[in-house]
Amino acid sequence: MFDRDIWQEIYHSISNNKLRTFLTGFSVGWGIFILVLLLASVKGMQNGFTLQFSDDATNSIFVRTGTTSLAYGGFEAGRRIQMTNDDVEYIKRSFPNDVEYISPRVYQNTSARYKSETGSYNIQAVHPDHQAIEKTIVSKGRFINTNDLMNASKVAVIGRKVEEDLFKNEDALGKFVEFNGLPFRVIGIFTDDGDDNAERNIYAPTTTYQKMYGQTDHIDQIALTYNPNYDLTEALAFSDRLENVFRRRFKIAPKDQSGIRIFNYAEVFEDISNFTGGLDIAVIIVGLLILLSGIVGIGNIMVFIIKERTKEIGVRKALGAEPWSIIKLVLFESVFITALSGFIGLGIATGLLAAIGPSIKTGAFANPSVSMSMVVTATIILIVAGVLAGLIPAMKAARVKPIVALSDK
Amino acid sequence: MIQIKDLHKSYKMGKNSLHVLKGINFNVEEGELVAIMGSSGSGKSTLLNILGMLDSSDSGEYILDNVPIKDLNETKAARYRNKFLGFVFQSFNLINYKSAAENVALPLYYQKVPRKERQEKALKYLEQVGLKEWAGHLPSELSGGQKQRVAIARALAAEPKVLLADEPTGALDSKTSYEVMDLIQKINDAGNTILIVTHEPDIADMCKRIVHLKDGVIIEDKKIEQIRAEQYV
Repeated sequence: MFDRDIWQEIYHSISNNKLRTFLTGFSVGWGIFILVLLLASVKGMQNGFTLQFSDDATNSIFVRTGTTSLAYGGFEAGRRIQMTNDDVEYIKRSFPNDVEYISPRVYQNTSARYKSETGSYNIQAVHPDHQAIEKTIVSKGRFINTNDLMNASKVAVIGRKVEEDLFKNEDALGKFVEFNGLPFRVIGIFTDDGDDNAERNIYAPTTTYQKMYGQTDHIDQIALTYNPNYDLTEALAFSDRLENVFRRRFKIAPKDQSGIRIFNYAEVFEDISNFTGGLDIAVIIVGLLILLSGIVGIGNIMVFIIKERTKEIGVRKALGAEPWSIIKLVLFESVFITALSGFIGLGIATGLLAAIGPSIKTGAFANPSVSMSMVVTATIILIVAGVLAGLIPAMKAARVKPIVALSDK
Repeated sequence: MIQIKDLHKSYKMGKNSLHVLKGINFNVEEGELVAIMGSSGSGKSTLLNILGMLDSSDSGEYILDNVPIKDLNETKAARYRNKFLGFVFQSFNLINYKSAAENVALPLYYQKVPRKERQEKALKYLEQVGLKEWAGHLPSELSGGQKQRVAIARALAAEPKVLLADEPTGALDSKTSYEVMDLIQKINDAGNTILIVTHEPDIADMCKRIVHLKDGVIIEDKKIEQIRAEQYV
């Protein structure tokens, strides 16, 4: 199929029309260049969004309660819904296959003091599972463990900023810090590459705070992650089930928005992926339209070449060239020009992205890049484009009557 | 070799129909050298086109080497042309970016002969027309007579049953014409069947038989004493 004769033909045809070939090839190369850059930009936006949320596990759900706004089940509106430790156990029992990690949260503001340094911070009293839910990176020491929880130990895991602010140049690990006058031992320091504010948090065991403040089993929030194998639909279905169970448990009207709120990251991701998915389609359409003008250009040049070579084609047919061999000749040339110029555009675009892509990181836009599958797709598109561009001229060429070779006019 | 019976052909020119061939009957035996003569409009080119399977007849029979030629699609016609016929054109019709040897090898390429064998054969036929040392030259580097000899070598390369030449000397001066005719006569001496369309009587006289066409019918078909071109070369 790819014998030397065909390459020779293509070489001759191209070298005889260098400028024309270049100009036409340029339009295809440019089309692919733009298409790749546009797709990479969408990828960059996707990366940016994901980065913004990668702070937390992307399969997390947060359950918050509030005050009912509708009368329901014999209760007046305005009833305060209070979750307790039981609710955490209840979820664990009710959804053993759905829940991956689960932890209650008790919020407390505290003024912390170490030696002469003081500061006001948020304490989140949590379970050991919380580390996995927030993807907390403990850089020194350890996170809260089951022992701390059972003993209601006065231990704390503090953020890097807290350590910086309170301990200055000292190593906080193992030191005692006072929260509202009560000494807590620092067992770990965590970092968060998401943002600095997260590093101003302090974690402590839930039980410690529940005992310290009135021997309650009250909790403010439940954070959990669901089975990571769930896709978007399954995730949303699970949070719906969870919500229904809680509404029944606390007798909250189905339409009451303020009694209970369940926040599922999947919803956000659904929105984002819908958005970037839509953008992807728009970009592909725009890119293909640009490419189309290139294809038309190549088709045009091929028609010219055929016209110039009508006589030659006639001679070839008189000598016994079958229509298919003529079609093959034109198609190969078309695919060759399209593919070559397309690859150049693709190469420049991917090279550019590889060079400057990783250094781009602003807000919701990070590391615009092309995937291997995109490159493969683009290649397939190019070859199809080349075939399309050559198809009409090739059929035109195949229809040339060999009689024209005999008529010497 | 060739049997033609009651061949008719007309062309539609708008509303009018132009009857070009009005019942042609003739046979060609193997090894003949036939000149088809006639003024322009006599139908000689149309006849050649039909003989060359470049055009089809409206009615009548055409049998070439015991194969009836009818209802050909493009692919089949191409195969038959390649297998049965060698063409020599007035304006040579060499492919200008291919060397003499590559031009000669072209019909073999369409016969799917392997590259190496193609090159060997091409050189063999170039040698036969006396142009072996010109094998690597482009057509633009050859004289008219040399070009036509390359074209003849190309027509011979496929080892066809019949050689069809359409005014092979039409673009050449008389001296070169005789050289080409000398070559054609020698090829004929070797047993090849050749049909030449010409309007030049001196060229026709160098054939063995003259078929005269006028207004779509054969008005004369005679065997003649061949004049050898050698003596003029």
